[in-house]
Amino acid sequence: MMSLLLSQEERKSAEKSARRRNIGYSYLFLLPYLILLVMFGAIPISYAFGLSFIDTIDYVFYGISNYQFVFSDFRITRSLTNVVTFVGFWVTLTILGVVTLSLMLDNIGKRTAGTLRTLYFLPGAVSSSALVVLWIFVLDPAVSPFQGIMHLFGWVSLADTIFTIGMPAVFMLMAFFTGAGGWIVVFGGALSGISTDVVEAARVDGANRAQLALRIKLPLIWRSVILMGILSFATGMQIFVEPQLMGMARGPFHIPDWSLNQMAYQYAFQMGDFGASAALSSLLVGFSISIALVVIFKTKFYDIS
Amino acid sequence: MNIKKLLNYTALAVGTIAGSAVVAQDIKLNVWADSVRVPMFEQYAKDGVELNITTISAPDLVAKIQLAMQAGTEVPDVVFFNNVSYTAQLATRRSNFVLDLSDLIPQDVEDAYSKNANSVCELDGKLMCLRNDVAQFHIWYNAPLIEELGETLPTTWEEYEAFGARVAEKGMVIGSATQEFPMMNFLASNGCNFAAPVEGEANTLRIDLSTEACLRPAAMVDRMAENGSLAKVGLFDPSFAELYRSNKVPFLLGPSWFAEHVIRPTYGAPEGQTGAALPPRWADQDQPITWHWGGGTYAGWTKTAHPEEVADLIEWVATDLALQTNAVTMPAHEASSVAWGAAIAADPWYANDQTYNVMLEAVQFSDPNYVTLRIGLEAAFGATVAKAAATGESIVDALPALEAELTNQAKLNGYTVVK
Repeated sequence: MMSLLLSQEERKSAEKSARRRNIGYSYLFLLPYLILLVMFGAIPISYAFGLSFIDTIDYVFYGISNYQFVFSDFRITRSLTNVVTFVGFWVTLTILGVVTLSLMLDNIGKRTAGTLRTLYFLPGAVSSSALVVLWIFVLDPAVSPFQGIMHLFGWVSLADTIFTIGMPAVFMLMAFFTGAGGWIVVFGGALSGISTDVVEAARVDGANRAQLALRIKLPLIWRSVILMGILSFATGMQIFVEPQLMGMARGPFHIPDWSLNQMAYQYAFQMGDFGASAALSSLLVGFSISIALVVIFKTKFYDIS
Repeated sequence: MNIKKLLNYTALAVGTIAGSAVVAQDIKLNVWADSVRVPMFEQYAKDGVELNITTISAPDLVAKIQLAMQAGTEVPDVVFFNNVSYTAQLATRRSNFVLDLSDLIPQDVEDAYSKNANSVCELDGKLMCLRNDVAQFHIWYNAPLIEELGETLPTTWEEYEAFGARVAEKGMVIGSATQEFPMMNFLASNGCNFAAPVEGEANTLRIDLSTEACLRPAAMVDRMAENGSLAKVGLFDPSFAELYRSNKVPFLLGPSWFAEHVIRPTYGAPEGQTGAALPPRWADQDQPITWHWGGGTYAGWTKTAHPEEVADLIEWVATDLALQTNAVTMPAHEASSVAWGAAIAADPWYANDQTYNVMLEAVQFSDPNYVTLRIGLEAAFGATVAKAAATGESIVDALPALEAELTNQAKLNGYTVVK
């Protein structure tokens, strides 16, 4: 009796120390990431946040003057509108497009689906800077492989295409084809993780393919959908490369302050005002982080039960 | 020449005396330039001065200077600016980079420049850089085509418009309605103040696009875009090059570098085709006013430890005859320009041997309002009037938007704006 109790206690403490050891291992495995996060995430962000309250010439405390300067810039509403329109378009298209394509791919033969996933992923393997150049060609009715269709609409120059579609929609297309392939692969993984029992049971109960996809599979992968939404939103708010490189097409497409991030770049590197740049960057990162927090906590994102 | 030689000897003598007094130790100057200008700096040979030359790609230059100044290390002592705006952008309290050369460059060096060539280096009465090359607009024409058409080149903008109307019926164009710099040239030719410095008032710009001076050229461009004599695509658009190659461009207004760097390599014009003519004037003007499209400058660092040596290097690279004779674009220093022009005059690729003489005459009409600015004219023109022209809308109607954009930009960058 006595020995049994002891052994139970012993077992308990052994379990405890094993759990502690496991937690210790988890942190050990996390360590490289945490180091990188601190070095390239936390430190630069805190540095920029501190810098945003400083006059970067005389290095004196500047109060909220940098923020006032940013808010009084006449371009801020324009860039904000541009970016919000783009993010609205892009996140919607990404969620609808990626979910639809993934659910459809899950319905066809594994071999075909694998080939198609690879095909969808290919544009993402091209760096976005190269992709912009590619898109400028695709969108120019003079050289585009789709010029037949464009000529049907009466588009003859790059300006016709871009200004009819609108810059935000053009960037939406660029960003969608870059990012969608990667997410389709991720969703392929999420969908293959769904237990075959559940799917079989639903099928036995008479669910057709559409019902199976929308009523059974979609609710089981909604966390991945939200994750994609948050990440797309955060990336979208920071859009820089696409509008910046669009400037290569010169003329009316060269808008160096189209997005908020481009403005932050201009403050630092054209005006030499690193304080104002830090202020705008802090606002951007703060906004993205708060939205992510709201989504995570309001949707009980990490609630395992 | 003699004075320059004398100055060089004096500098050498002073240098030698100073050098022997302070133990012979080389002065090191950091130089940043683009790949075209690096070989020029490499030819600098002066006792006691050693250059540490770094190739910087043009688009990264300003960002790298800003970062170097923030870091406080490896700031270049001498730089080549490929954009005339950089002088103004890097001479503010926040980016206090540019060295005042007023007392370091002798007046006779300044006087030896083509007319108004250094307007892009003057900032509130101070000389902040030396110009490398000029980029004045003038006519570049297709000689056999002009002859075939039985036309003569226009000398006034009124004739220019009429010429366009006649050839537009044959599907020909005489320029672009959507390119920013040519658009600035149209407006500036009639004295339109879209960002003009105000004499005697520092940090002040006159921006008024509601005047007849602006409306007249803008209305002309509208009419010419309407009848098709100005293309709705830019001069670098592949479809414009196609027009040029298929003999649909009798002439166009382009900068001095346009023949060597666009018509020859990109449009592929054959030998004996391309000639130059003076820019047009308005019928009620005595002489033309011509805008520039680019041109580079050399500047120094205001906190350099060796301002004298920096000024000497800048003067040498910008005005040395042997060096500038082989420059890739028309030198701003007049004697260098003449030496450079001999090759143009002798080149059988041009339609006749008068090309360089015309270019040299055209530069005399350079607009003094072509200055260094902290605002981006090109982007403002692109987002408003160039966009309007590209989408088939009226430029006259887009002028208020351009004025608002320029005024806002100017105020944001600390200018006082007057009408």
